[in-house]
Order: sequence, then C-alpha cells, then structure tokens
Amino acid sequence: MSDTTVLGGRAVRESLRTPDALIPTIFIPLFFLVVNTGQVSKIFQADTTAFLQGQGYAAFQLPTSLLLAASFGSSALFLVEEIEGGYFDKLRAAPISRVSIVFGRLWSEGIKSLALTALMVLVALPFGVRVASGVAGFAVLLVLIALWAVVFSGFMQLIALKSRSAAATQAGGMAFFPLLFITPNFVPRDQLSRLMEIAASFNPVTYLMEAARSLVLDPTFQWAVLGKGFVVVALAMAVMVALTVRAINDYE
Amino acid sequence: MTLAVEAIALVKRYRGKGGEVDAVRGIDLAIPTGSVFGFLGPNGAGKSTTVRMLTTLMTITAGSARVAGIDVAADPDAVRRRIGVALQEAGLDPRQTGRELLRLQCRLYGMSSAEAAERTEELLRLVELEDSADRNVKGYSGGMKRRLDLASALVHRPEVLFLDEPTTGLDPASRLTIWEEVRRINEQGTTVFLTTQYLEEADQLCDEVAIIDDGLIVRQGSPAALKDELARRRGDGSVPTLDDVFLDATGRSRARVAGDVQEVQA
Ligand SMILES: Nc1ncnc2c1ncn2[C@@H]1O[C@H](COP(=O)(O)OP(=O)(O)OP(=O)(O)O)[C@@H](O)[C@H]1O
Ligand SMILES: [Mg+2]
Repeated sequence: MSDTTVLGGRAVRESLRTPDALIPTIFIPLFFLVVNTGQVSKIFQADTTAFLQGQGYAAFQLPTSLLLAASFGSSALFLVEEIEGGYFDKLRAAPISRVSIVFGRLWSEGIKSLALTALMVLVALPFGVRVASGVAGFAVLLVLIALWAVVFSGFMQLIALKSRSAAATQAGGMAFFPLLFITPNFVPRDQLSRLMEIAASFNPVTYLMEAARSLVLDPTFQWAVLGKGFVVVALAMAVMVALTVRAINDYE
Repeated sequence: MTLAVEAIALVKRYRGKGGEVDAVRGIDLAIPTGSVFGFLGPNGAGKSTTVRMLTTLMTITAGSARVAGIDVAADPDAVRRRIGVALQEAGLDPRQTGRELLRLQCRLYGMSSAEAAERTEELLRLVELEDSADRNVKGYSGGMKRRLDLASALVHRPEVLFLDEPTTGLDPASRLTIWEEVRRINEQGTTVFLTTQYLEEADQLCDEVAIIDDGLIVRQGSPAALKDELARRRGDGSVPTLDDVFLDATGRSRARVAGDVQEVQA
C-alpha cells in the first residue's frame, strides 16, 4: 500500500508538470457541454420538459461531460512512455509489489478526477446548473465519477502493458469512444429510438450516466438508479483489477 | 569462497511473432563475492538478456541462477532487495528532478522519508550532481543521466551491482569518473557485474571476464590469464591485448576486420 501511495504521489506530480496533457481533459468536455446545450436548449426548455425536473438543459448534459473528462486515461500514455523509456524496468527491479507500479497511477487518476469533477461542477454553477441532491449528492457524484476514471484508466493501462506502444494505446482509447455516445446522451433512455435504447441498455456507461444524472436532477436519492451505477462500476473495477494483476505478473 | 552470482546451464528463448530466438544457450557463471566481473561480447551476443534474467526482470527458460546466494526464480523479491541495477538504456523518469528520483528510489527500498532525504544528499555528492539536483532529468546530458542512474542503483547499498554498459556513449573523462566510482563501490564490498563494449575498461576494472558470443561463453578467466593463453597459442612472441583475445574468441581476426574496412572504403 505504501508503495502505491509513494508512486501515486509521483504520478500526481507528473500530471501537474504536464499541463498540456491536463488542459484538453478540462476543455474538451466543457466544449461539448456548451455546444450540445446550445444546440437543443430551445427545444428542451425547463418549464416544458418534464425530464429536466425544473433545471436548464445544461444540467442534463453535465454528467456526460463529467464522464467524458474521466475517460481520457492519460495515465496510460505516461505508463507507455515509461515502458518505452526504460524507467518501468527500473521500478520492476525494485523490491516492491509490481502491482503498485500500475495501481499507483490509478490512485493518482482517482485523485485527479475528484479535483477535475469538482472544478467542472463549480464552472457550471454560474450557468444555473445545480446539484439537486445537495452536498451529500455532490460528494456521491464525485466518488462515482472518480471510480469510473480509475476503471477507464485501468483498462487503458492494460492496453499499454500489453502493446507497449503509444500508438496502440491511443488507438485503444478510441475504441472506448462509442461507449460514451451509445448512451442516453441527449434524452432519457425511454425516449431513444428502439434500436438505440437496446444498444444503450447493453452499455455499462448508460447506468453510470443515469446515476450521475439522477444526482444532478433529483432532489432525493434514487437508490435503485444509484445502485445500478455503483454495481456496474464495481464489476468493471473487479474485471480491470483481475486482468491488470495478471498482466503485470506475466510482464517481462 | 562464496559466490555472488552463480548460473548453471542458463537458457533464454524468446518467443515472438517472427519465431523463436535462442538468445542465451546454456551458460555457466561463478562469480566470487567481492569481485568485479566483466561480461563482454559483440552486439546481440546475449549480454543484456543474461543481465535481465539475473536481475529478475525476465523469466529463465531453462537452467538456474543464484544471486547473493538466493535462487532467482524461487525468490525474486529477496534477490531484488540485495541487488542494484542500471540497465543499458538509463531508464529514468524525465519528469522528475534528480533529487526527487533518488528520494523515490530510496522510499521504494523501504527507507523513511528522513532517511531517504539523507541518503539522497549523500548520493548526489557521490556522483557530483548536487548542482543539477533540482532540474528535471529531461534536461540532463547523457553522462549526467548515467551518473544519476548509477546513484539510483546504489540507494540501498546492494550486495551485487549490475551495470549494463555503464560507459557507452560517455566522453573519456566521464568514463573515468564511472570507473573510479565502480572501484570505490567494489572496495566497500559490493560485487560488480558489468557488461561493456570497451575491452580496455574490462582490462582496467575486472578481476575476471567472460566473453559471450551468440549465446555461448567462449572464453572465461582473468584478463591476464586470457592474454597469456593466447600468447602461448600464437607462440610468435607478440604480446596480445584483450582486444586480440576478444577477436580471437569471437572468430573475428584483425585481418578480416581490416578487410571489412577496406571493402567499405572501396
Ligand atoms: N524482447 C526480445 N524479443 C526477441 N528477441 C530479443 C529480445 N531481446 C533481445 N532479443 C534478441 O536476443 C539476442 C541477444 O540480445 P541482447 O540484447 O541480450 O544482446 P546484447 O549482447 O546485450 O547486445 P548489445 O551489445 O547490442 O546490447 C539478439 O539476437 C536480440 O535480437
Ligand atoms: Mg545489451
């Protein structure tokens, strides 16, 4: 555990020293938030659209942007750089649990995501977006998104470990792209076309999005919706951890 | 006599997309504790592969190895605690400063934050990097990186130090600095296993050398003994250098090398 936190601290430092990797993580999701909201906010107005529960459309879109910000997996690109540069082998030659080399990075991704998510919610406040479930709901939202950031980065790091190539890792990130958009991204799931609804129902990210959205829009906790979101993220985490442990132990 | 490194019929077979490569084809090593051992051989001979097996970075295909008395395959963690490693590509994190990198390394070897800080200052002084300690490693010269890498291999005062081509690409002055360092480390009791392309380096530093070619050890002994052996075999009264031993052992004669050069020039 202490190896993980020592290495995690280093990964945090590395992120702070590489603002060019951090900036897109904030601005691309904010860009989508502004553009998507601008495109449809006339159609979906607060007083005539039931699913907005009294808020503007930006509140409905915010969870999408939060999830997008948590799905960059920049830690995997740092990892692949470390593999290519040889520092990874130096760490592997140290008497530490090898798993901590990758888990340290995940730990820092979680911390980074907590900060980024809080920042983005703060940025959205002046535009009238409110987290209807209150301070407790805000805390739950941060945890949910940060867990997803860890899961997503974990899968990206897995590609980095297996491919050892920056190009492949980047391409691997693209494969996750549909996951974010085959979702009830613009309207609730029951208002999607039948085909889209079925596809979205098979997509784990849908349940995260719905959980995050309920925290933003619903004044009370929707336990069933939240439960599904956390179960999905926990299952994905379990799969990711199992595959990562195997990949790092087989690495040579 | 205790052995710092012992290998018996060590084999490494790489399995890749392009088929199999037998990089190391059954080598035996017996390196006494407290000595400096030089591992020589042409490019692709299997030096780095051997180092990677002995330092637990790679699985052993067949045979066995003990480092600091511990079986590498059976207890890699215990081996890692007793060895220091500086690999061929000085693998350093470009985004940390020299000081941060050493401190982190100390922490990974179980030191407290205060101990790590103290040891880091000691090592920075040792490799003469105090003045650049707070710069990012990215901006270091090749020689500075090598010295930092060497320092990071020494944080825990290892019993056995593995250096894979520690002086390749360095200017003569930096090379001498590393040599001095290696001698000093060795005087303090650390066994040093180094690979090198520079035969003079091996001649100067090593108590014993082995020459590996195409995965097999073709000569082994002290530099003096190897030279004597070649002189006796030649029997023409000429005094061979370690270069001559190397060329003889790897089937490359001076005449052929000279011929190759002429062909290139023509
Ligand atoms: N990961 C790998 N996969 C497949 N083959 C490899 C791998 N690493 C090395 N080899 C092959 O194994 C052989 C030995 O390589 P190695 O790096 O051990 O040589 P070396 O003696 O260190 O050479 P150099 O002096 O160039 O550093 C070479 O033929 C090389 O191509
Ligand atoms: Mg090599």
